[in-house]
Amino acid sequence: MTQETVQEAAPPPEPGPLARLLQELLPGVGFAITVTLLDETVTIGRDDFTRVMETLKGHERLRFDYLRCLSGADYLTELETVYHFYSFEHGHKLAVKVRCPYDDPHVPTVSHLWAAANWHERETHEMYGIVFDGHPDLRPLLTEEGLGYFPLRKSHPLADIEEWQEGYLSAIDEAKRQAASAGGEAAPPMSKVEIAQAKAKLMKEARDKARAEGLSPEDEKAAVRAAIDKFQEDLESGAVGGAAAPAPMSKVELAQAKAKVITKARSEARGQGMTTEDEKAFVAEAIKKFSEEQAGGGAPAAAAPKKEMSKIELAQAKAKVITKARNEARAKGMSTEDEKKFVAEALKNFSAEQDA
Amino acid sequence: MATIDYTIPGEHDLETLDIHVNVGPQHPATHGVFRMVLTVDGEVVTDVDPIIGYMHRGNEKLPENCDFRQAIGFHDRTDYLAQFNTEHCYVQAVEKLTGITPTERSEYIRVILAELNRITSHQMFVGAFSTDVGIFGTAFMYAFRDRELIQDFFEEITGERMMYNYFRPGGVAWDVPDNFRERCRQVIGQIKKGISDLEGLIVNNEVVLARCCGLSRMSTADAINWGVSGPLLRATGLEYDLRKAEPYSIYDRFEFDIPTGKDGDIYDRVIVRIEEMKQSVRIVEQALLRMPDGPIMAEGLKRVLRAPEGEVYMRVEGPRGEYGVYLVATGADKPYRHRVRAASFCNLSALRAMSVGNYVSDVVIILGSIDIVLGEVDR
Repeated sequence: MTQETVQEAAPPPEPGPLARLLQELLPGVGFAITVTLLDETVTIGRDDFTRVMETLKGHERLRFDYLRCLSGADYLTELETVYHFYSFEHGHKLAVKVRCPYDDPHVPTVSHLWAAANWHERETHEMYGIVFDGHPDLRPLLTEEGLGYFPLRKSHPLADIEEWQEGYLSAIDEAKRQAASAGGEAAPPMSKVEIAQAKAKLMKEARDKARAEGLSPEDEKAAVRAAIDKFQEDLESGAVGGAAAPAPMSKVELAQAKAKVITKARSEARGQGMTTEDEKAFVAEAIKKFSEEQAGGGAPAAAAPKKEMSKIELAQAKAKVITKARNEARAKGMSTEDEKKFVAEALKNFSAEQDA
Repeated sequence: MATIDYTIPGEHDLETLDIHVNVGPQHPATHGVFRMVLTVDGEVVTDVDPIIGYMHRGNEKLPENCDFRQAIGFHDRTDYLAQFNTEHCYVQAVEKLTGITPTERSEYIRVILAELNRITSHQMFVGAFSTDVGIFGTAFMYAFRDRELIQDFFEEITGERMMYNYFRPGGVAWDVPDNFRERCRQVIGQIKKGISDLEGLIVNNEVVLARCCGLSRMSTADAINWGVSGPLLRATGLEYDLRKAEPYSIYDRFEFDIPTGKDGDIYDRVIVRIEEMKQSVRIVEQALLRMPDGPIMAEGLKRVLRAPEGEVYMRVEGPRGEYGVYLVATGADKPYRHRVRAASFCNLSALRAMSVGNYVSDVVIILGSIDIVLGEVDR
């Protein structure tokens, strides 16, 4: 509960008339003044917060009766709440900011002073995780209950959709093929299109490889030819099309079974009259047990894909790492070059982790 | 002959149960995907729990990942009935941050379009509200007939009927067609007639008078406390309009009045809006006379806009009240924080205060009188 934010702004700009009035009316309160374009802005410490707010509303020379906007903001190490005020009596306007650290995101509520703050605080709470102490009803407003993350924090990035999808879609294809090949004899052979696609891919790879090695055009052709021949042979012998493997539980079945477990655990918990917290824990326990069963002796068929991350999961995890690194880099304001390097670094770490 | 005793024994000991009534989210009276849970004691509403968020699309988060100019389109999608007003707010916020001055001609174009947009929004309100009240069809059709004229006019200028994406920091995307003035005068002429038609249908309508007068009175102090703005605030008798209180753009150059109500009841809210349409017509007429020729885009703008470190809370008077955009810039080409202060979000938060103690059937009118746009409420 220190006033680090107040001390931090060492060279303050010239205080405006309102800031001077505040300093006069509230001696002993540190007001850090920041340059703004339309409203005078002061930053205060959390300790003085309630006192300042009550004075803003109540004092006859201030009389800020209109809370026009309340916003949250994420500054990576701290969370900030901004209040924009207007006074109908005096016609003056002021912005007040207060910061709170990430690990202790508490700010006293102002909903008892301005009813308008009620919904604003609810929204800021669900979006940033700032807890407004003393608020009568801090249920989420725009998102569902029990979301588990704070969407407007910088640590919750948007996924880059194209990139994410690309990895995802190809991973799905891969998984489908695996499932088909795992189906054993009954699995349908590769469709003509798929064969052609695989062939094209192979040819391209062979060509690229030949060019990278600097072969002459004739040799290159021969290399590609050889690759195609090998592919045909594999296809005929069945090495590509449909090798038999034990049939794992399909993904859909797995998900259905899981959903059943969850539903059962939840209704059980509710039947026992648990609190929401306990209920969540109970369900989590059940899911964990289920997964263990799946991984262990319970269903040996599913053991193989469980051991390692599936391709889809891997691609998703990778996309997440990329997005996260990029957003971090952007939040730090890196140049494009540095950003690229940063992302590459993150990817490298990720692969190393996977290998280990 | 024995007399019959009609009194019910122990009438005052009857125990009543509070019943919860769910309204929406798919219900024509909720004007979009809005849901409320009413607690009723007989016919009287004792509690209202508005439930919103069905249309939450992350309109605050997405622009934080977009270029300053790319974010304009998101403002069309917040208040989708007053797109020019919201765009006007956002581009001004960016201009304040970057220090760009828009050209004279573009300022006039923006004001004309924003005021016409205010008229379409109020027409929409009057139309929808009249069906809420129970005068089916007629007023609604009259309002939409005229709204269509303005929509066609907007389409001629921007190529779009709803998501215009036309204003830019420094000006507008392209110049208006050559016949802009004549077309605008023509539209205005028809609109004026349309407004008096609407007035005739609403102002002295027996149904409207019976259902709206004295319903859901709100005092000025209450309205201010709840953060209510726009026509709802003015209906309580307070003469407060951001176009006059904190003149932005070129609004200080025009003559217009701020219509106010007396009681803050539903009837006043409707009348204030009808009067506001007339004032908007006045502004457009003045602006048309003075609109200069010249460039429509400020000179020397870079392809990528970068705003120096700073922040601004820009607000404009939208049809529903104060529409605000709070931008924090860190020197990058995107806003670091992008917050939308939606007028109907704040107005809707006062729904409980307005409705408790009224009849169930009146809550529909009260909700209608707030004139919510869910795109703006949920963002």
